[in-house]
Amino acid sequence: MVQDWRIVTLFIGSILVLGAIIGGPLVYAIMLSFYSAKSFVGELQWVGLANYAKAIQDPLFWHSFANGLMIALSAIFLQVVLGVGIALVLNRKFFGQSVVRAVSILPYFLPTVVACLIAQWILDPNYGLLKSLLSSLGIGIADWSSHAFTARGTIVLVSVWLWTPFVVTCVLAGLQTIPTQLYEAARVDGAGPWRQFWHITLPGLRSVLVVVILLRGIWMFNKFDLIWLLTKGGPLNQTETLPTLAYRKSFLEFNLGGGAAVATISFLILAGVMLIYLRLFPIDDTKQER
Amino acid sequence: MTNHAERSSIGSQPAGEGRGRKSLRKAAAKIGLYAAVLAICVYSFFPIYWMMISSVRPMERLFLDSSLVFWPPDFASYTSLFQQTNYLVNFMNSVLMAVGTIAVSLVLSAFIAYGATRLRFRGKTTLVASMLFAYMFPPLMLAIPMAAAFRWAGLTDSLWGLLVAHLAISLPLAVWLLWGFFKAMPFDLEEAAMVDGCSQFEAFVKVVLPLSAPGLITVGIFSFLLSWADYVFALILIMSDQQKTLPVALASLLGAHDLRWGEVLAGASLIALPLFVIFIFCYRYFVAGLSAGALKG
Repeated sequence: MVQDWRIVTLFIGSILVLGAIIGGPLVYAIMLSFYSAKSFVGELQWVGLANYAKAIQDPLFWHSFANGLMIALSAIFLQVVLGVGIALVLNRKFFGQSVVRAVSILPYFLPTVVACLIAQWILDPNYGLLKSLLSSLGIGIADWSSHAFTARGTIVLVSVWLWTPFVVTCVLAGLQTIPTQLYEAARVDGAGPWRQFWHITLPGLRSVLVVVILLRGIWMFNKFDLIWLLTKGGPLNQTETLPTLAYRKSFLEFNLGGGAAVATISFLILAGVMLIYLRLFPIDDTKQER
Repeated sequence: MTNHAERSSIGSQPAGEGRGRKSLRKAAAKIGLYAAVLAICVYSFFPIYWMMISSVRPMERLFLDSSLVFWPPDFASYTSLFQQTNYLVNFMNSVLMAVGTIAVSLVLSAFIAYGATRLRFRGKTTLVASMLFAYMFPPLMLAIPMAAAFRWAGLTDSLWGLLVAHLAISLPLAVWLLWGFFKAMPFDLEEAAMVDGCSQFEAFVKVVLPLSAPGLITVGIFSFLLSWADYVFALILIMSDQQKTLPVALASLLGAHDLRWGEVLAGASLIALPLFVIFIFCYRYFVAGLSAGALKG
């Protein structure tokens, strides 16, 4: 078949645009990480691997890495547990099911900034709803943002509220693919709800969960806006993660090369973890490819 | 296993009493189910409700009163938001960004996805896989070099620069979703049109695109969401208040003037409003997109 030159031209043109706006910055980021730039307007100076060496010798880098990992892992764990739980409830038949399903996805629709503002409003130590609720019970609260544990907890809490609906939607779709005969057979064999969950539902959701955990893991590890909006890495770097560290270096300390190096290292770490994860849990794509 | 079988058979044997206990258990299960459903609704919706209700609370009572319902609503926070801040300008900036992102990413992703499913060339899988990879880049790995390059190109503090950034985050997802869509569409339809004398380009425009309207709508919604909600790139690429988009303008409102909670919550409600309208009308496309993007990954 002769291929239409217009299709070919438009395809190639679009690919070039896409390459320029994504590939371009990516290459430039890696390039910048080998240079020292004291400001955005100053001359670039080749420093080789010095930015990388400085980054990995900095205790704050490893502190941020550990923080990010801890926040990401706890957020993913809660998102998956809660997401599967909610999906199991929403998968039952009840009055108003479709409306409730829609309502349960609503948070996912909100911009991060809105969710963060709501959280800050409810948790405000002087005027927030939580404060007035607790003070009516005679309990006083402190400022959540001034303690490492509560600051991290708030970040995890808001992430869970915002992104659990993603897990719910995927798990609900996954639940539809489990044949109902399996449950009937299990019931005949006398398996209770708990056993049915462990031996039929969870294995049936395996391929969905593998993908969901991978995607959420990547997005949580890269999360910048939520943390910056809630805590700016504080108190005293207790919620600093690699993305906020890269931002701090580039845009508050005007150390572009250093920030680019941190971003590149965190990307390499992520890519490495992703490869190991995909080796451990290969995504079963044969069903979809046909 | 046998234990369970025995227990269940014993439980179901005594006729009258057993049936009563069974229906009791059924009722308990039903109550439990509805309690769980109610808990899910409150958990998902209450924070949003609290934001909206606080935004129409009279400002002098905002810090004192935590009643869940009251009447009448008071829009002083909204008028103050419009009078004292650049909210309308920022709103228009956000709209411009969203419209630009939707339009450009729809056109480009349609060409790319169509080419990737219908043209014969090497490295197709690599191309499509790299889309998935690209939408998982750390945002700062794109934002840092963009800030530097835009400084050099004179696009600092420019909405054009921000549009490029928004395209960079929306295009990979758009290509990925449309690719799945075009791949599922049988080639026979275009072939029939081409037998009737259409060129492949005409067949693409007149046959394929109209038939993929649901896919295009899904891509449009997700491009809108990404652009409308973006905080990272707007924070880094935009400096002046006049050029800010809503998320950044709103976040800086809280920082700049303390205790402006009334205005902040009014502004937050207004950001969410267009989303809720879209949500009501496009719910099914949204869910379709979510599962298409996630299950195929």
